[in-house]
Amino acid sequence: MLRRLVSLLSLWLAVLLGGVAGTAAAAATTAESPIELRQGTVTTTVAGVTRTGPVELSYHWDRQHRGQPGFASFDLPFNLPATPETPWGIFIPRVGNAVEVQLNGALLQVYGDLDRGNGADYAKAPIYVPVPGRLLKTGENHLQIRLRADSARRAGLSRVTVGPAAPVRTELFESAYAWRFTGSVLLTAFSLVVGGIALALWLTQVDNGAVGRHRRDGIYFWAALAEFCWAVRVADGVIAEPPLPWVAWGVLMAACYAGWAASAMMFCYHLSGWARNPRLQWARWPVAAVVAGTVVATALALQREQPQWLTGWLAIEIVIVLAFVGSFAVATVRNPTTERMLVAIAALATVAFGVRDWLVIRLSDAYGETTWVRYSSVFFGVALLLIVLRRFHAVSTQARGWVAALAEQVAQRERELAQTYAELEQVARDQARTHERERILRDMHDGVGSHISSAIRQLQSGQTSSEELLRTLRDSLDQLKLSIDSIHLPPGDVGALLAALRYRLEPRLATAGIEFEWAVDEVAPVKLLDAQAMRQLQFLLFEAISNVLQHAQASVLRIEADMLGDMVRLRVIDNGRGFDASQVPRALSERAGAVGARLAVESRPGRTVVQLGFG
Amino acid sequence: MPRRWGVLVVEDDSRARAFFEASVQRSPRLFWLGSAGTVLEALAWLARTTTIPDVLLVDLGMPDGTGLDVIRDAVARFPGCEPLVVSVFGDEENVLASIEAGAVGYIHKDAAPEDIAQTIVEMKAGASPISPMIARRVLAKYRSLQSANVLGIGIGTGTAVPGATPEAAFDENERGLLSAREHEVLTLIARGFSYAEIARLKGLSVHTVQTHIKNLYGKLAVHSKSEAVFEATRLGLLPHPG
Repeated sequence: MLRRLVSLLSLWLAVLLGGVAGTAAAAATTAESPIELRQGTVTTTVAGVTRTGPVELSYHWDRQHRGQPGFASFDLPFNLPATPETPWGIFIPRVGNAVEVQLNGALLQVYGDLDRGNGADYAKAPIYVPVPGRLLKTGENHLQIRLRADSARRAGLSRVTVGPAAPVRTELFESAYAWRFTGSVLLTAFSLVVGGIALALWLTQVDNGAVGRHRRDGIYFWAALAEFCWAVRVADGVIAEPPLPWVAWGVLMAACYAGWAASAMMFCYHLSGWARNPRLQWARWPVAAVVAGTVVATALALQREQPQWLTGWLAIEIVIVLAFVGSFAVATVRNPTTERMLVAIAALATVAFGVRDWLVIRLSDAYGETTWVRYSSVFFGVALLLIVLRRFHAVSTQARGWVAALAEQVAQRERELAQTYAELEQVARDQARTHERERILRDMHDGVGSHISSAIRQLQSGQTSSEELLRTLRDSLDQLKLSIDSIHLPPGDVGALLAALRYRLEPRLATAGIEFEWAVDEVAPVKLLDAQAMRQLQFLLFEAISNVLQHAQASVLRIEADMLGDMVRLRVIDNGRGFDASQVPRALSERAGAVGARLAVESRPGRTVVQLGFG
Repeated sequence: MPRRWGVLVVEDDSRARAFFEASVQRSPRLFWLGSAGTVLEALAWLARTTTIPDVLLVDLGMPDGTGLDVIRDAVARFPGCEPLVVSVFGDEENVLASIEAGAVGYIHKDAAPEDIAQTIVEMKAGASPISPMIARRVLAKYRSLQSANVLGIGIGTGTAVPGATPEAAFDENERGLLSAREHEVLTLIARGFSYAEIARLKGLSVHTVQTHIKNLYGKLAVHSKSEAVFEATRLGLLPHPG
């Protein structure tokens, strides 16, 4: 990751430098037909003293006049072998602060008010002046440039190129303009975007700490402040006529520059974790001093028109920043993280660029150079964006981890639930099986078991007829069949129960010569009859019919089922000899009670009715 | 002299075999072909016999398998052969499975010897016993089949609403399973009415009622076959027809 970032940054730098070199090369090759004006005469007026003398361009006003404002008039002669056929133009990479351009005595262009000092500043962008036709003549021509110079505002005149519009305007001027003007616009836009993002992060990324205090992340705030300061500072490059007088504006711009440097340092201060170390709190003071010192020194330099104040202070500032960045770099090497490495590289590059700018802009006589720091500041923006991306990535990875952990917990809980459910189900199954077993046991006991044991008793007594024994055994088998039928009987379906009973018992009745009458209507299901009660009802009816078979000496057995309103009524009727209805067999009344039926028995010779009512 | 029917018995209990043999020998309408004590023996007998058995008495629980295999084999070899299942209880599961394998009825093991012979002869004359419990099961099964058909085909207003007229619910052309009359008869059997009572109630002869039941047996067997084919096709065991 880190290696990739480093290679990305170095690539960016290479493109940047390559672009600068390319521009220089282009200027060299096309200098054949255009003429570069380097020499001439200059007349300067500083504090009422006027001097005239030869001059070699570039002319760096502040170096020549120790920062004092004044006026200058340049006369730059050049010779043409013939009157040009094509349109010509004049390209001035840097001239300021307010300018008048004349060619052979004709005023071509005015930039700013020459009489009002500390107003507009046209030294920020390159200038191109088209030459009207026929103004150029064969032989000697004179380009005159009059300018008003303000203190510490990079006033002066660079070398001037005169030549055909095609190479001069399209190649020299436009590429210089792109680098100075368009570059400033893009850098401003970039800084505003990054600053906006950082500010939004600072406002939204609130860490609700354990203490209950809302903590915002300092690095976002300082990154935002740095980017906004820088945006203002870089925007100055495209503002020819500032809204404030020069001194105030100059102090503000210097403050922005210092604010950017200080904010970047505070960014490092938070990123390195120094902010959490009480013993390193003092590190904020030199940072504050950078801003305060810059404001004071700039005010002094501009007010007194003595740029050396600022130059000197900037040297001190560079030392402070260098110390700070050096410490940060050391701390980073000791305790490296990708974020710190990125920022340390950006900071070191920026400091290197800052030193270079100080040497070139504040000390050397080179005129026309621009600062490099304006580009290196992009490193900070990129570093911040990468930091944010990395943090976001880390957080989203963590969140995915949490989601996975949560899903795992839910799955675990589901497994536990499923297991609990399975256990409960097992318990329920066991219970059902136990009930079923009890039912079967009771069934065997009441049905087959009792019949077989009575058959055994009959055999043992030796007094029974084989007919009686056969009947007992048949009863036993019939009970078994009824028991099997009852397994499939739908609970409450009395009709099905009666049909099965008839099917099982009719052969016995037929054998006994009893005619069967079937008067069974379709009846509603009886809700209170569960499987167990159905079996009891079977026993009850079997008992009643068995009694008819054995004792009644009947010739007709009639089974009736019908509905009386909501009540289901079952009747077993025979035409036998009858019995004492007050002596209802106990088995009958007990079973009727068990199934919740109302039992009514009436009997007289020729008609016995056993009636059951449900509902 | 009416025709006499040849009977083969497949039964592992030797005393039961002897009992069946005695019952058959005693009947002037039946003659004894032989008996088998295991499924293998029975299958071997069927493979080499020169006399086509008219009636097959099969016990389901055999020591080396199930009597259902014998029923299937016999029906496949001799379409005229009518298997009867010997059942102690006449319980629904076994009887339905036998019918679907091709049996045309069942006899109770505890029936009297003369009853056994009579049941066989009546069966050959067109009778088919069916218990109310089995009738109920068959009805329930065809109710669910019918609602599945209605859902699957998406035609017909006939839903299995209890109390809807049988004609509407069971249109034979539409379903080819139960005719309206068969359904009516089956419903009455399930409610416990005897064949004679049903004949009287519906103004039919007892013979007609028996024919309906016998047809039903055939349909159950055929249906169980087509059901098997359908299942096999669905599972990809057989190529799809067409």
